[in-house]
Amino acid sequence: MSKPVKQRPTQAPTGGVYKGDALKDLAESLNITIPDNVSSALASDVEYRIHQVVEEAARFMRHGRRTTMTTSDVDNALRVLNIEPLYGHTPYNPTTFRRALPFPQSTSAGPVYFVEDEEIDFDRVLREEKVTLPKGVTWTAHWLAVEGVQPLIPENPPAIPREAAPDPGGPLPDGTLATVVKTETPAQLNGISLPGASGANGKLTQQQQQQLVKQVLSRELQLYYARLTGSLLPPTTDFAKRTAALASLRSDAGLQALLPYLIRWVAEGVVGALKDGAHSESDGKVLEVLMDVVSAILENSALFVEPYLHQILPPVLSTLLHSSLPPSHATQLRTAAAQTLSRLLTQHSTTYPSLSPRIMKTLLLALISPGKNKGTREGAIRGLVGVGKEAVRKGLVEGGGAKVVASESQHSGSRESAALLNTAMEALQVLQPPPSDMTDALDHSNPADAAVISKLIDLVGEYFAARIANDSAWARELVGMGPSDSS
Amino acid sequence: MSAATPSATQSTPAPSPPNASQEEKPALSTSEQAILEYLRARGHHDAEKAFLQEVTEGRSPDDKSKLEEIGKDEFLRSLAVYAGKASRPGENLLKDSGTVLQELQSMGNPSAIQNLISSIGAVGAEEDREEGFRELEAWVDGSLDMYRPEFRPILFPIFCHFYLDLIQKGFKEAALRFYSTFSESLSTSHSATLHHLSTLLLPAHVQNDDLAQRFMNEKYIIKMSRSGLSLLVGWLTEAFGGEAMGAGNGFSGEQGKRGRVAVMAVVNNHLSFQMTSTNPTTVSPSAWEESTGLLSSLIPQGTGAVSKLTNAQAFNQDRVLREQAVLDREPLQYDMQIARAVPPGLVAPAESELLPHPPAFKTIDIEREVSAVRDARKRIRLDPSALNNIDPNSPQATLQRARALPSICAYTLHDVTEGSPCMTFSQDTSLMAAGFAESYIRLWSLKGEKLKGFRSDFNASSVKDVATLQKIREKKGTTTRKLIGHSGPVYSVAFDPISGSAAPPKYLLSSSADATVRLWSMDTLTNIVAYRGHENPVWDVKWSPMGIYFATGSRDRTARLWSTDRTSCLRIYAGHLSDVDCVQFHPNSLYLATGSSDWTARLWDVQRGNCVRVFIGHQAPISCLAMSPDGRYMATAGEDLAINLWDLGSGKRVKKMMGHNSSIYSLSFSAESSLLVSGGADWTVRCWDVKGAGGLKAKSENGSSSEVGNRPGRGEGSQETIDLLSTFPTKRTPITNVQFTPRNLCLAGGVYLSPEQR
Repeated sequence: MSKPVKQRPTQAPTGGVYKGDALKDLAESLNITIPDNVSSALASDVEYRIHQVVEEAARFMRHGRRTTMTTSDVDNALRVLNIEPLYGHTPYNPTTFRRALPFPQSTSAGPVYFVEDEEIDFDRVLREEKVTLPKGVTWTAHWLAVEGVQPLIPENPPAIPREAAPDPGGPLPDGTLATVVKTETPAQLNGISLPGASGANGKLTQQQQQQLVKQVLSRELQLYYARLTGSLLPPTTDFAKRTAALASLRSDAGLQALLPYLIRWVAEGVVGALKDGAHSESDGKVLEVLMDVVSAILENSALFVEPYLHQILPPVLSTLLHSSLPPSHATQLRTAAAQTLSRLLTQHSTTYPSLSPRIMKTLLLALISPGKNKGTREGAIRGLVGVGKEAVRKGLVEGGGAKVVASESQHSGSRESAALLNTAMEALQVLQPPPSDMTDALDHSNPADAAVISKLIDLVGEYFAARIANDSAWARELVGMGPSDSS
Repeated sequence: MSAATPSATQSTPAPSPPNASQEEKPALSTSEQAILEYLRARGHHDAEKAFLQEVTEGRSPDDKSKLEEIGKDEFLRSLAVYAGKASRPGENLLKDSGTVLQELQSMGNPSAIQNLISSIGAVGAEEDREEGFRELEAWVDGSLDMYRPEFRPILFPIFCHFYLDLIQKGFKEAALRFYSTFSESLSTSHSATLHHLSTLLLPAHVQNDDLAQRFMNEKYIIKMSRSGLSLLVGWLTEAFGGEAMGAGNGFSGEQGKRGRVAVMAVVNNHLSFQMTSTNPTTVSPSAWEESTGLLSSLIPQGTGAVSKLTNAQAFNQDRVLREQAVLDREPLQYDMQIARAVPPGLVAPAESELLPHPPAFKTIDIEREVSAVRDARKRIRLDPSALNNIDPNSPQATLQRARALPSICAYTLHDVTEGSPCMTFSQDTSLMAAGFAESYIRLWSLKGEKLKGFRSDFNASSVKDVATLQKIREKKGTTTRKLIGHSGPVYSVAFDPISGSAAPPKYLLSSSADATVRLWSMDTLTNIVAYRGHENPVWDVKWSPMGIYFATGSRDRTARLWSTDRTSCLRIYAGHLSDVDCVQFHPNSLYLATGSSDWTARLWDVQRGNCVRVFIGHQAPISCLAMSPDGRYMATAGEDLAINLWDLGSGKRVKKMMGHNSSIYSLSFSAESSLLVSGGADWTVRCWDVKGAGGLKAKSENGSSSEVGNRPGRGEGSQETIDLLSTFPTKRTPITNVQFTPRNLCLAGGVYLSPEQR
């Protein structure tokens, strides 16, 4: 006598992603009501079919050499399983699923995912910029490995540093290179981490890459750098050695790798010397040497300086325009800086058209804006001379620099003022036409000359007008009236 | 069987409040009802309560259909599943007992009866299986270290059978619970299969699924030593062996016994043990891969074979391979090195066994051979053995690396919208071809020359010699051409090898998801033949070493041999149980190797069309394979992220090379067969030492030299074998193709994956 028939309990839809409830909802939308056990059985079957399709699609993905499945994989899978594909999904326009919070009445159902049906506004589409056609597939080739060593070129990922290896940062001048390499772990490089790339890579690889990092600045160059800076900088060392060092810098090839370090060294040196007022004699000497170094670098034809111009300019301009240089060296330093600036501009203004306007602007500000020191003014004038004739005309004459200088220093009578006035006069002489045999002064009685004089006063102020009035050709040149106008 | 029998488990006391007796009533049987009513009439309320409680307590496990209380129909249905192999048990036609009896009588053969009787024992509830499996696992884990690696493989098939049984009987919930409880310990090595099984949820699925049917119909082969087997049998029959504490409700308990019976039923019906005489401790940990599993259908049966071979080794030793093909017997024997000793187990083939080729030499044949000599002279010699016994930190090592490792030139495609499944380079490195998911092929001239086809508007009679032929070439051309013709993603492209490195190739083959293979002429830059025959996407196409013939592998589970001058195939190589994913000719063109999604690779006799070797050992579909130029070895790479090296002569696995973190897409041997290069989806190209010893890096053994300290504990996933010589990462380029030029320069190709695309 056995027990009365006990059917197995109707299974609540557990397990699996496709719930029986979803199927019931679907059936209800078609006006069919299905019992629980049917819906759960159907849900199981639906899930199995989905898995079947996904497994098939995974094959297409694998053979497509991809690691993400696309809608075309599913399409292909449906096709080979003899099911009609789902139209309207393209990998070009991947569908985005939105998540809606669960319905408040039945939170147990969980959140609902749906495909957003975007409304497209034709007006907006028409107004939008037209999409350009992509240029098509292109290829590039690079060396992934040369005789078993991966070259450090931009196409290859940077070397992976040895984990927690205490890098003897000493040999590098300032450690910049070492830190750059260290911070770029593969995870940051690639967006997603190469699993095992950091820790799991063979020791061989790590070692090889460690080697490559050092090759960037060879031991010889490091030694050279140390010797060079050592013989240059405490300026008390003997003169012959310094000259030799500068000569080497001026003419030796193969220093390109050192260039960033040298420029940085110069910049730091200049900042260090100028920071504490730069009144001492030694500071002046240091600055002198550093200016020599900059001009030597610029003179070296084997160096490719252009990428570093923006780093060279600040020390040069600082030296030129600093308010209080040691008095014994001031003139010499400013002259040297102006010459360097001039050389730099002649060499590179063709490739950098914006270079001279930018420098001009800095210099003009220093010359004209009120409240500047006399030293700064002098430096600015020297700089303008270095930039060229037109710069002098623009700064001193048209910009009113001469008037400012004259008004500030005409009556002070100090030595600095005299120097400043002299400098301004020298600068104005740049505008002097080639000296002719006869220089005749402007005649106040001559109405034409009087007009010139008044205009001259207008432009450069009385002080300079008086000094220039002796040479009529010069005055006319300054005013902008050729000799032909006078007659 | 009466309802009053107390259950063995008291685990789930269902609290039933006495005042709920009215609701309980309908669920009670008539006899119980009678007793209840009698008690109530007599006013024995306490007794009534106690009785009711007992009844419901006895019922609660019964609600989950316990063994003892299985209803008649349930029992019959379970029987039907086992008895009705022939009569489609999935359909519920065996409803009444009469049919069952009929069925029983109709089955005359004793084995079926035996099967049935043993299955009656196994007709049990899910709890028995759960208990049985828990005990088995505890027993395996509690066994001696010596036997544990031997016993572990048993767990997996028993798990699968229990799960399938539960599903087939309709206990979906119990099956899911069983799966979630026990699958974790097995998922490390069987995750793919387990996941596939977990998708089966209804009896109908089990009936229709290939893998489930293979589990049901085939014996699962397990290798075991004699002593190990006797221990197992001892445990199954009566309690001895390692009993773990707290595993189940007492080992000798009723339920424990039934659990063991369930295990035994599976062992009897579905497992087959192979005796090994070797000491279990000496067997390498990965050896089980080669000899465990559902092998009987994988190992091909020879025509009229007397003995059913269940052992791949036995099958592979059955016949010898022939070596020394046409290539080497040509008069142009130029190099001393080439005249190598024939490996043992290989014999020279007769002329008749080779594929027929045109008898006369053409000019291009001479040129090819001349350039082959030149290449051999200028070849970069790669000798990875030089790296052995050298401290990698010493300065010497740098020098040796240059000798051992190749130079790799990477070709990266940019702005690919939908993906490029394949890429190839011509042997003279003048052309590169890539097939795209958008159904076209793009051809590039790597030398910057313009690709010019022929004009179509010419008078055929005016073409007399080469000069006039040149005149009808297109005037304009670009360095790249698009070849349009397929109607599905292009999965493989191959340049013909006839001109070798002497001249640009004349033909290109491509295979696609549209089930066709197309032949493209590099003169006209048009499609000239479409080969139809496969019914499903063609995954791979490869030329034979001498051209003219080519082989394809398709989703329709066959590989086929074709000749370029015929549109129908010459041979069909059938036997794989799943897609043929990759094909490759042996360098002597006598054999064809295929890799499949059924986890095996096979070697076929090209002429006879029969399978001569089967390579079992991968634990996932095989994605690509390569043959060594000296013809001795084959390397296969699978989705299990391992590269296996096989000795063709013996059919044995030489070693397993691990290190890739993602799918491996391409393999290539260097010309000396000493170095293997692989590229894959983990954006790396890796170099492997073919001749060196493999094996995982021992953490303690060779740590003495320099490895101490810089190797933190690594996870299971990122194991590397010591024969991984070097890894060259790219920035974001999955490598779809690696190949060696005849001068041993390695070319790698892939599509740059722009970060915003993902």
